[in-house]
Amino acid sequence: MPRERPLRPVSSETTPLPDEQEMERVPRAAERLDSVQGHSGSGRRAALNAGLAVIAGRAVGALSRRLHLGGGTSIVGVVAQRVYPGIVAHLATQLEYGCVLITGTNGKTTTSSFITAILRDGGLRVWRNREGSNLERGVASSLVIRALPNGHLRRSGHAISVLEIDEAALPHLVQELPARVVVFTNLFRDQLDRYGEVDSVATFWRNAISQLPQTTTLVLNADDPGVAFLGESFTGKKVYYGIDDLALNQLADTETARYQVMDTRTCPRCGGEFVYDARFYSHMGHYRCPQCGLRRPEPDIRAVQVQQDAFDRQRMQVLAGTFQHEVVIPLPGLYNIYNALAAITAARSLDVEWEPVISGIEQAKPAFGRGERVQVEGRTLRLLLAKNPTGFNEVLRTLFSQGAARHVLFVLNDNIADGRDISWIWDVDFERAVGLTRTLVVAGTRAFDLGLRLKYAGVAEEAMTIIPPQPLPVARETTRLQGAIAHFQNVGARLQNVGARFISPSVPSTSPASPTVSDAPVPVTSAPARVYGLKKALDVALEQTPVGETLFIVPTYTGLLEVHRDLEQRGLTPHYWEGDEA
Amino acid sequence: MSKSSASSRSLTLGHLYPDQLNLYGDRGNIVTLQRRCELRGIALRVVGLGIGDALAPDEYDMLFIGGGQDKEQAPVAQDLYEMKGIGLWAAIEDDMPVLAVCGGYQLFAHYYRPADGPDMRGLGVFDAWTVHKGPSAPRYIGDVAITWNGMTLVGFENHGGRTYLGTAKPLGRVLKGYGNNAEDHAEGAVYRNTFGTYLHGSLLPKNPHFADHLIELALRRKYGEHLYLGEEPLDDLPLETTSLTPVNDTLEWEAHASLLERLGLHNEAIAALRTQKG
Repeated sequence: MPRERPLRPVSSETTPLPDEQEMERVPRAAERLDSVQGHSGSGRRAALNAGLAVIAGRAVGALSRRLHLGGGTSIVGVVAQRVYPGIVAHLATQLEYGCVLITGTNGKTTTSSFITAILRDGGLRVWRNREGSNLERGVASSLVIRALPNGHLRRSGHAISVLEIDEAALPHLVQELPARVVVFTNLFRDQLDRYGEVDSVATFWRNAISQLPQTTTLVLNADDPGVAFLGESFTGKKVYYGIDDLALNQLADTETARYQVMDTRTCPRCGGEFVYDARFYSHMGHYRCPQCGLRRPEPDIRAVQVQQDAFDRQRMQVLAGTFQHEVVIPLPGLYNIYNALAAITAARSLDVEWEPVISGIEQAKPAFGRGERVQVEGRTLRLLLAKNPTGFNEVLRTLFSQGAARHVLFVLNDNIADGRDISWIWDVDFERAVGLTRTLVVAGTRAFDLGLRLKYAGVAEEAMTIIPPQPLPVARETTRLQGAIAHFQNVGARLQNVGARFISPSVPSTSPASPTVSDAPVPVTSAPARVYGLKKALDVALEQTPVGETLFIVPTYTGLLEVHRDLEQRGLTPHYWEGDEA
Repeated sequence: MSKSSASSRSLTLGHLYPDQLNLYGDRGNIVTLQRRCELRGIALRVVGLGIGDALAPDEYDMLFIGGGQDKEQAPVAQDLYEMKGIGLWAAIEDDMPVLAVCGGYQLFAHYYRPADGPDMRGLGVFDAWTVHKGPSAPRYIGDVAITWNGMTLVGFENHGGRTYLGTAKPLGRVLKGYGNNAEDHAEGAVYRNTFGTYLHGSLLPKNPHFADHLIELALRRKYGEHLYLGEEPLDDLPLETTSLTPVNDTLEWEAHASLLERLGLHNEAIAALRTQKG
């Protein structure tokens, strides 16, 4: 019932409200919806359907939460879409400031966090989808939970939606979401079992771009040839970002360059092999095709003079036209320089002033598992998600490039959300970690595979503790004796543990890991006499990390979820979900 | 043990198209061969052979070719046929151990018919051919275990093409997974000492017996049967250096057995753990 909506124009000619003048107004909707809502009969039916969908979705969501059937987030969207398939388009077109979509292999979540922080600093109400809910149903959920039973968005949709979108879901979602800006971060090899090949993702994206209206702005990474090339087929506005700091060029550093995983090495236009004048990591850099002349586009927003102040404090000069601004990034790794650049470029193409851009980036909190910090029993945990070869390589570089030895826990899972194929670990530069792990625990459903990878990288078997999820049933049969020995050793260690608690008075007896025992139970886990499970892995890793030091946890996606769940059970609820409601 | 002779053993591995066919962790196979040679005092030199490079069969003792995307496979197919075909044939007929995984395996058969585009001509080493039944046909993706030589091989497969064997012998029989085409239980192909397979993951790290088999074949071919078997050891070459000394493979077999166990192959997992002990 369009009449009942607060006085907000459906067409784009209306003058913006004074306080939002810096924001360009969105063309209100995909045409087909405009026409639907124009006729009051069908419009009423749409609103009615939408209302029913909202009620049904939220009811089921509440029920599922009550029954503890998981988070109850994506079920909201699933049910609402079942009731009214047009629910996403219906609600999204009510968003006053439209949507910013972020897609790409790596960096979606952190880039979204940055953009959200900037836009909030700029005074806007920002609605996000939850991390990991980047398929259509997740996007539907994020809108439905902000809708009223009359089929209208809360606060009259006086908000902007920042949505991270799965690479493969993009073509369908751009049909439903009025995207003002679409950000493409990068294109790496990821989950080949799900997407097929790297090229199929590029095909999804070209398909999506062909459906975008001219009014959409594309924000593209100039340094990633697979992403930059997407601009060729789009006639609307395109803005490029890239790194121009040649001190970061890795081609000079043969040791690092040798093991780089290049996921795009040939020209998407003619198939010629790229030549690089500078390469920052993987296939990101200043490339050109000697065959057809395709070359990296000149970026509109460029980073120079990237400096590392501390482990998670970097500084860069951002050049935009003739202007130069210093930006501080509170996260580690070169990949976060790219994420920050993507966010800055997206915000600037929405005409946000520089002041909130700079303050937004500087104050952004690490997203879920992306450099996030948790205090546990006097130790600091840092969670660094690594879900594909390039992501993993960059995390390892961030951890080990300064030559400092670290306490590390790797968690390698091969669940569906991680990708079932873990052969990519053999392309990751684990050689870099040799000699730089003070203590090392390897866990996850594929702990043996990763242990093997580390062994072949040159890490001594005695230097790591491999903790698989559960014992091999056969191992119990064939090594019953060893198992019995291990059991007694375990009991022994536990007794020692108990004893230590009485002996050392400064440590509260509830602490499962006092410094006194930290060196005692470790040898128990050597060779086939193993302990099992992620909980145990966390225990061992924590025990091995002395008080006051940092344990770096590098998990794949579902490994991260498990670690989080475990930390929650220990009463350490790291804040991670972005505040849902602004 | 005499040192000089032991360290004098060396092998050269030709890695075909390391830049184009490297999608599925093929580096693991190379790293494994390197490490396992090193542990036996054998120097393994790895030489990359890219597009445009000729293949002189007498310069190598082993060859490896991996898999890549269809787009990258087309120029490789042409180069393989035109630049390396004759050299490869000579090497293969001369019993050089060759391992071809995934895309490389497909290119060693008569042809690969992609979902769209023209057929890619293969070398025809294996009397076999591969057909991709279009974009809607499901890919064969998942963990896989096959029999081999009275033991098992484990890995991961991810292929859209279905391979059918003519007179070629399969590498093994599928215990769990899809194999060549999910119809006839055959996996891979063998011709002389050339092995084609869809198993990656990487293949060799978790299958140390297969890795050692390739190394043994290369040693036997280079240094001679009698010398290799130690029947008539040369004066300065003591017996124990002529065959592969056992190394500690506990972790390798645990990884192997855990995958078998996950696939529900309980008895095979037990057998695998016994191999390690015996």
